[in-house]
Amino acid sequence: MFLNLLKDFWLLFGRMFPLPTTPGLREAGKPTRSSPVLVTCNFDLTVRKVLRTLERSGIDAWLLVAPSRGINVWCASGAGHFTADTVISILKTSGIAGRVDHRKLILPQLSGAGVNIWSIEERTGWKARFGPLRIEDLAGYLERGKHRAEPSERRVKFDFTDRLVMGTNLGFSSLVFFILPILIASIWLGSFWWKSIVLIFVLAVLNSLLVFRLPGKPGAARGLSLGIGAAALFLAVSWLVGGPPAGASFAWAGWILFVATYLGYDLPSWSPLWRADRKELLLGKRHTRIEIVEEKCIGCHLCDVVCPVGVFRRNPKTRRYFVADAGACQACGACVENCPTEAIATNFRSAVCKCPTCAVINRVNALKEERTDENESVGGDIAPESACCKGDGAASPESTTAEPAPRACDCGPSRGEHR
Amino acid sequence: MSTLVYMKILELDPARYDRRMRMATFGRIDRIKREIAAHWVEPGDRVLEIGCGTGSLAALMIERGAHVVGIDISDGMLEIARANASSADLLHLTAMEIDTLGEARFDRIVATFSLSELSPDEFDHVFDLAINALKRGGRLVIADEVRPSHRWQRALAACIRRPLAVLTFLLTRSGTRALRGLDHRISRAGLKIVHRESYLLGAFTLIVAEKESCS
Ligand code: SF4
Ligand code: SF4
Repeated sequence: MFLNLLKDFWLLFGRMFPLPTTPGLREAGKPTRSSPVLVTCNFDLTVRKVLRTLERSGIDAWLLVAPSRGINVWCASGAGHFTADTVISILKTSGIAGRVDHRKLILPQLSGAGVNIWSIEERTGWKARFGPLRIEDLAGYLERGKHRAEPSERRVKFDFTDRLVMGTNLGFSSLVFFILPILIASIWLGSFWWKSIVLIFVLAVLNSLLVFRLPGKPGAARGLSLGIGAAALFLAVSWLVGGPPAGASFAWAGWILFVATYLGYDLPSWSPLWRADRKELLLGKRHTRIEIVEEKCIGCHLCDVVCPVGVFRRNPKTRRYFVADAGACQACGACVENCPTEAIATNFRSAVCKCPTCAVINRVNALKEERTDENESVGGDIAPESACCKGDGAASPESTTAEPAPRACDCGPSRGEHR
Repeated sequence: MSTLVYMKILELDPARYDRRMRMATFGRIDRIKREIAAHWVEPGDRVLEIGCGTGSLAALMIERGAHVVGIDISDGMLEIARANASSADLLHLTAMEIDTLGEARFDRIVATFSLSELSPDEFDHVFDLAINALKRGGRLVIADEVRPSHRWQRALAACIRRPLAVLTFLLTRSGTRALRGLDHRISRAGLKIVHRESYLLGAFTLIVAEKESCS
């Protein structure tokens, strides 16, 4: 109990670090041989929340806690730690096959960026489908017994609580980055350090809470808007309190402006709504492209089911899907990963998450680069800059072709190999 | 940008796999691999390599005249392995699925530094599957990090390992755990240990175990 409280407190700040719990089979309520089998990651918070929610809504179910290295579902799947392989591993080692009579799995929707359900089916016979995005919606989803969650259950939100928690996390992660210069500056500036720490946290939370209200595009622009407001407020107050502002006040105002802009730029990587792409966040220009090659689409609606931001819509005449809101796409790659006919063409290969977790996992991309420069003779078709979880997304703009570029990273099984 | 800079710091040398393993084993890994290929694999053997990584060992075993099936779950690694060991059969497969390759099919099953990446449950599962996949008289060749048997060695190994583990974690966000109870596991499965070599104060081991040739 106390430990859980401690963990929850830590999770207000340190979500960028994995927090693993033992993978394995858990029981919610009193599951029987026909109870649903759910899968989740082994991020401590998620597992506790899922079990709590299931219990509260009186659902008897088997819960497979897959070894995602202690990382949450979305980050792990974007980073290649929650893939078909991960699910297969837990299917085999948990012995679930002997405890239920059916072969149906319900995956969290946000695992779509890493998990290819066709690969699971082909390799194990288990039929996986994506459930609702939030565990709270599971009861309704199971009750309806339909294959698809309702559209409203499939969209990510960034509500007040989320924004508050992500704000404190943003503050903490930024602090990790700023702390050294701040401490060094404090040798001369005395109380600068704690004032700066407070400032970073306050501006981080404000950036996060106000993100929908601030003018400008998500990213540095919104941070700048907040910074201008905060710096002006600061100057006004210090004028009222201590007369016309002097050099020190202007220095502080500049510092506030900088910190706010920087935090605004960094916030989207903590949000589920905007992709963390450097260029886009600095300059507000998009460069991802996504389209459905109409002839290839068989109207299976899987892309629509996995997309967390509602990019796709069905054309009632042709019964095929089309890209209705390309601007919302955050290049998570879930639709590309799961489209059974490879009908979705993009200029990114997979998740283009820029968060540290994704980035460091890309050792294999580094290896690739090493290989291209070391064994030139091998040639091969390796993209010079792989746009995996760490890439730019703009790695190969020319690759918007009918054939989506094959996966060139370790973020899950490569396309085509399992089909 | 905290995320960005942080990422760049961590990215400096994002554990280029072979190099990282060389570092972690103080350069022993190449020697271990050469020894496996030279002494524990015969020409004509059917070898299954679990976690073939960049294919460096597979290439050595092929040179020795073995038929190698290599499995790995990283497509990036497999792609590199395809260049390094082009005549091996390289498959994207988890170790938990080696039963799909057939029963009693292999003369050798080799795993270097891959079993320690598995969780204890996974390890148990894979171990059983591996024994099923071995022919009678076939051998299991495991080189991995283990918990040293002597207490003082354990303490010393911990002193070396802990800081290294932190570094590895920072670089790769993944850790391995030293295998525990490997001997016990081997004898419980009815295998006979035919060779054992320890490196670095017992922190790394090479074990060769044989499946009885008749029941
Ligand atoms: S684009 Fe692909 S996933 Fe989407 S409906 Fe068509 S076939 Fe299905
Ligand atoms: S359309 Fe974009 S956001 Fe939606 S699933 Fe595909 S890649 Fe992800």
